[in-house]
Amino acid sequence: MRVLRANPLTLVGFVLVAVIVLVAVVITVAPHLLTPYGSDAPTTAYGQAPSWAHPFGTDSGGLDIYSEVLYALPFDLVIAFAIAGIALVVGGALGLVAGFWDRPGTASGVASVVILRITDVFLSFPSLILALAIAVSLGRGVWQLIVAVLLTWWPYYVRLVRGETLAIKHLPYVTAARAAGVTEGRIVLRHVLRNVLEPVIVYFSLDIGTVLVTLSTIGYVGLGVNYPITPEWGSMIATYATAGITTDPWTVFAPGAAIFVTVLAFSLLGDGLRDVLDPRSRRVLAGAGTGGPTSTSPAERQEEAAEVSGEAGELPAVPLGEGSPAP
Amino acid sequence: MTDAAISVEGLSIDYVVGAGRFHAVTDVSLEVPAGHVVGIVGETGCGKSTLAQAIPRLLPEPPATIGSGRIVFQGIDLVKVPLWKMPALRGTGISMIFQEPLNSLNPAYRVYDQLAEAVHIRRQREAGRSRVDPRPPPPFDYSRRPAPEVGEALSRPIVPAGATGALARKMRERHPELRDEVLDYLRLVRINDPETILELYPHELSGGMRQRVMIAMALSEKPALLIADEPTSALDVTIQAQVLTLMKELIEEVRTSILFISHDLGVIAETADELGVMYAGRLIEFGPVAELFDAPRHPYTKALLRSSPTRYKSDGPLSSIPGAVPNLSRPPPGCRFHPRCPIARPVCRAEPPPALLPADGAGPGHRSACHFAAEVASLP
Amino acid sequence: MGRSPSDLAVFVGKRLLQLVPVLIGITVLTFVFTHLSTVNPCNQWFPHSHGAVLANCQHMFGQPLYVQYGEYLSSLAHGNLGVSEAGIPVNPAIVNGVPATLELVLAALFLMIVIGIPLGVIAAQSAGRWADHLVRVFYLSGWATPTYLGAVIAAIYLAPYLGLPAHGEYTNTPPPFRQWTHMSVVDALLAGNLPYTADALEHLFLPAAVLAFINMGIATRMTRSSMLEVIPLDYVKSARMKGLTEFWVMYKHALRNALITTTTVLGVTAGGLLAGTVVVEEVFDWPGIGQYAYYAIGGGGATPNFDGAVAVVAVFAVGVVVANLIADILYGILDPRVDWR
Repeated sequence: MRVLRANPLTLVGFVLVAVIVLVAVVITVAPHLLTPYGSDAPTTAYGQAPSWAHPFGTDSGGLDIYSEVLYALPFDLVIAFAIAGIALVVGGALGLVAGFWDRPGTASGVASVVILRITDVFLSFPSLILALAIAVSLGRGVWQLIVAVLLTWWPYYVRLVRGETLAIKHLPYVTAARAAGVTEGRIVLRHVLRNVLEPVIVYFSLDIGTVLVTLSTIGYVGLGVNYPITPEWGSMIATYATAGITTDPWTVFAPGAAIFVTVLAFSLLGDGLRDVLDPRSRRVLAGAGTGGPTSTSPAERQEEAAEVSGEAGELPAVPLGEGSPAP
Repeated sequence: MTDAAISVEGLSIDYVVGAGRFHAVTDVSLEVPAGHVVGIVGETGCGKSTLAQAIPRLLPEPPATIGSGRIVFQGIDLVKVPLWKMPALRGTGISMIFQEPLNSLNPAYRVYDQLAEAVHIRRQREAGRSRVDPRPPPPFDYSRRPAPEVGEALSRPIVPAGATGALARKMRERHPELRDEVLDYLRLVRINDPETILELYPHELSGGMRQRVMIAMALSEKPALLIADEPTSALDVTIQAQVLTLMKELIEEVRTSILFISHDLGVIAETADELGVMYAGRLIEFGPVAELFDAPRHPYTKALLRSSPTRYKSDGPLSSIPGAVPNLSRPPPGCRFHPRCPIARPVCRAEPPPALLPADGAGPGHRSACHFAAEVASLP
Repeated sequence: MGRSPSDLAVFVGKRLLQLVPVLIGITVLTFVFTHLSTVNPCNQWFPHSHGAVLANCQHMFGQPLYVQYGEYLSSLAHGNLGVSEAGIPVNPAIVNGVPATLELVLAALFLMIVIGIPLGVIAAQSAGRWADHLVRVFYLSGWATPTYLGAVIAAIYLAPYLGLPAHGEYTNTPPPFRQWTHMSVVDALLAGNLPYTADALEHLFLPAAVLAFINMGIATRMTRSSMLEVIPLDYVKSARMKGLTEFWVMYKHALRNALITTTTVLGVTAGGLLAGTVVVEEVFDWPGIGQYAYYAIGGGGATPNFDGAVAVVAVFAVGVVVANLIADILYGILDPRVDWR
């Protein structure tokens, strides 16, 4: 909670994400609460501009765009969480192995080198382009879409988790645990995993947004799911972009705005979290908490930070820098 | 009052962190007479560094806020000067030497570029064609300030030397006259081979060397007031002694006004004319160094002297001060030292001692903030 | 400590050598794509073809894998990137398209640097205050904008409003001069044709701005966080104490050091910019490989051109690798603490 208070924008992001998830649940469980129209059920209004009855207008086939955007929400969220989630688990596990058991000469050491080389190759492809190429060879469909994006998504988690693992495993308390006879498995579970989790979750929340934008582009190119049979924003845009960007622009802008708001919500949350959890920013913030006289000794800073935080309970984000910079 | 290089009057500085207020400096009054070296000692976290950085308005505001008080420099109250006007008062006005030699020089630029920049700014100001501050100049005249003399180092002949580095070359081509003066200042801080040093990056220098360059940079501004914020604390002991010797010699040569911050009583004893002792954000004693060391008039000063192995006074066993430094978010009522004071009485808990008063039986200029200053002399 | 020009050559040479395994990996991956994604892709790739093309394809897939990979490499070495489904060689399209895409990406990168980095400085200077929040909303908005939506808003609504063209490289094509480099602005300049240069710049502006806006976040964010790290350091204070104004303290002393870390994200930026060209070039009808990729993938209902798609993927991968190499070298040059030997 202190994290959310640190930056008002993070709080905005958090509230937006909560609302979006709530809407997704409601539209799945009780859609009539939010819209009178069923999924893929045409109304009698054709190609109408936004009005009170149809907030986002209708398409030339009579579909209410507002309802369509809402019906696509749960699918988009689930698919984004699925892709980012599986990438996290697979990439994270590989990264953990490559980071923790990387002693050269051992079997696991060789394995970690192989993992890293393969990761490097994948990382040199822009993930969107690679996903597009894979999607071409797999064809259209929900599963094909997930597999295509997933194949390009895992390496980022390998790199992230490996980096964090490397940073943690040489910390004195891990060495101490090993010296105390704690088994390797327990060290990974108790120490490494717990510390890796924080940055990974932050990255994950930002990643949801990136997956959604990528999906929208894949959909736009025409490799997404089959709209309107499966409502999905990217494919919606693709369908209407060719059908009526000039005649019924709202059909394109409504799903586009939906993507924008959803991604912005997750990004505001993730970006704010990253600021607070990023060790570098955190140090800066802690320095600011004591007024940032950094020419004092580190011990002094720590002491003061402890005093301040002990008193105020927590360290909120505090602005740094000059009051009025010269132009 | 008028011949003071700087005078601080009733200065209070808080750090505002969320709902918390951290009283870093409380009601400090202090004055550095022109040409004098005034030392400030105190434990870690007593507010001495905050004070040092508050004078040239270097503290980030917010979170730091100057609650009350004045900082009078050349007739101007610095507290009231808007931050964007401060550049005109820094440099040739107030200069500073920082603690961390690792960080006080910019790692991206060669020694020459950093020193030449300082000299360049000063020369522009001396010539009255300062491009440093594009805004209207502050309402006072630099020329009226007596320029401190910088040894005879300046008149020595210069041996020109070949240089490398495109950036340095460019700068030198544009301002060939800067190089000679930069070399002079490097010689002033006893650097043997200044031509080589010029072309090096800070990371290629040792800690002591970096601090010498830093001192040269600060002096090349010909400041009216030099603030040295723990200039030797981050160095190895042997290097510390060298830099300290250098500083002592330079103090004799340059005779500028210096505010010398340190936690090391020995360092202060060797350099300062007057000494102020800070505790928990307050200045609790001030006086001539010798007298303050011989006859402290505050129980904290006494305890501090007894707890440090100073080069000045090394007789008797060392002792530590019981208790801990108070939390400055909620400082103790009354005298801030009373929880740890051996002669504390109920009045110490109830009301704060009046700010620095001349102590009974002490010499001129020796003042302390203790209800029972007279009794301190009888303490063990 | 080696930082002489000859040391720099060694430094760059070492980095180039490190590229070899990655480049081999890229060819393996693209090989896997073209040859293994389905058991016998010939019928899928060439559903309407027959005769020589199909037979040739079938023959190739009868060979053992290593022979196939060898053939693939040798054809790559001969500059043969394959043949499209319609029988048109991929090669010329790529060769002509790369400069146009490069021009677009470089223009976008330029905008990112001149706008994104100062924004990061401003955000760091006012961290936690409204200017910081505003900058954050700005760069996250770019991040959250679906590429297509951003491009289409710029092309359909912004372009008429600003009076800027949103179609192709020049108003009148082909231009009356030789296309030496296939970069619109550069060619017009080489020809000494100033009206065409201005025209080319106008055409370049909107697509580059869209690409830059969408990718702005990386530059701004990185600048902000490294500035936050640098600003409290003593050398920034000692720069202030020299009497420098805040502007010079920030841009000469603080930013010079913050940039060292900012350059490291250049590679990431390249990936985003290149990926963005696929949609942006299509919307603005920019004749680069992004647009080529769009149609090769089957965008806009075109018949997929598999060899073409894989070729573009490979070119983009090489682009990312080269961008990382440049970032690495820039880092070495910007940070005097890096030993080149």
